[in-house]
Amino acid sequence: MGDIMKTIIHDLDESYDLLFKKKYENVIFANGKYAPCQGCFGCWTKHPAQCYLKDALQTVCRQIGKAEELIIITENCYGAYSPAVKNVLDRSIGVSTPFSTYRGKQMHHTLRYGRKEKLTIYTYGHITKEEEKTFRYMLERNAINYGFREFEFHYLENLKQLEEME
Amino acid sequence: MMKTVLINGSPKKRLSVSSYLLGIVGLLVKGEVVKEQVRNSGDYERILNSLVDADNVVFGVPLYVDGVPSHMLAFMKEMEKFCVEKKIRLRLYVVSNGGFIEGSQNKALMQIYENFCKHCDFEWHGGVGIGGGVMLNVMRIMFFAYAGLFVLNTITAGLTAALPIFAEQLFVILFFSCAAILYCLRMGFAVNKGAGYGVKFTRILLPSFLFILAADIFFVIISIFQGGIFRGWLKRK
Ligand SMILES: Cc1cc2nc3c(=O)[nH]c(=O)nc-3n(C[C@H](O)[C@H](O)[C@H](O)COP(=O)(O)O)c2cc1C
Repeated sequence: MGDIMKTIIHDLDESYDLLFKKKYENVIFANGKYAPCQGCFGCWTKHPAQCYLKDALQTVCRQIGKAEELIIITENCYGAYSPAVKNVLDRSIGVSTPFSTYRGKQMHHTLRYGRKEKLTIYTYGHITKEEEKTFRYMLERNAINYGFREFEFHYLENLKQLEEME
Repeated sequence: MMKTVLINGSPKKRLSVSSYLLGIVGLLVKGEVVKEQVRNSGDYERILNSLVDADNVVFGVPLYVDGVPSHMLAFMKEMEKFCVEKKIRLRLYVVSNGGFIEGSQNKALMQIYENFCKHCDFEWHGGVGIGGGVMLNVMRIMFFAYAGLFVLNTITAGLTAALPIFAEQLFVILFFSCAAILYCLRMGFAVNKGAGYGVKFTRILLPSFLFILAADIFFVIISIFQGGIFRGWLKRK
């Protein structure tokens, strides 16, 4: 079991951030203010599970890795995550180790924190049919990459739906 | 004259695989060829202005978490705004590479670029997704090391002694890298004709179990040098 039940990553605003923080122990606000990954692999080869960039995302991989369930709330961007949310994911490859293995019949890295229950995506904003297909496909890929046993995709017609989220 | 802008989406200042691959694509491209790199928002204005009179754009991007790196997505949103407003229509090609051996792991990334083209009203002309990018880079660096040794060998032992050794080394490098190189060269032809390239996947020509072994050895060596192996390399943190 993970040490944390649920981790939430979202790119909404301060008021949603407060709302989520009341309900969940571990909320990561992707506010678009953090520097992007520099591609150095230092979080594997130099200082495991830690980014050399010293900001709030420095050890974000630990918050994600320790959670049984990851919930991502993101604006749709060409059938993918918004840049702000994607930045959090790019900065968190320390969830895996530099060691490689087969998973889902393809090459992937072994998982520092082991396999996890569930990855759920809630996306909002304009989305086309093709983009939804891309997003669902990428979610499936991400679930294998991160070692989630299950995954779910939801489109939010209205952000108000989030207020009823468990 | 045809103008092609090669946009490197790797955050690395030097020796990125993406710049290597774009370099190969650009070798045969005719007309004006401009090389750009997106590293932060300070680069946007310069790059966007170079698109005003361009015909083709080739993106060279690393695969990050099964998709496009975040700083590149941010740039693409700006590019969409700029090009839609200025009614700039381009032909778009993509060459992407991932660390994992299967080229097909780049599939979602290609779809993202296809979706992007619809937003911008660009012609999606396809791309190639390459597996084993890091090894491609190691091969490139080894080429220069071997070439250096060849020169030394020629000076000390003579050309007839040095040449067979270098030829063999060159053969090995070319063998593993040839599919990736040929696919990139072919993209150059497609760009020249303004033709569609389709979506293709290729890789380093090594069976995956050997590739995994090589990747593991590679990371052990790097992690010994950088010290990570002594700092809880595989541990929960
Ligand atoms: C944050 C991050 C995420 C990555 N995710 C993947 C991935 O999902 N699949 C993959 O095959 N490679 C992945 N890689 C490996 C890179 O694609 C690979 O190292 C590539 O060669 C980098 O290209 P560049 O030198 O042009 O930056 C990732 C690398 C980083 C830094």
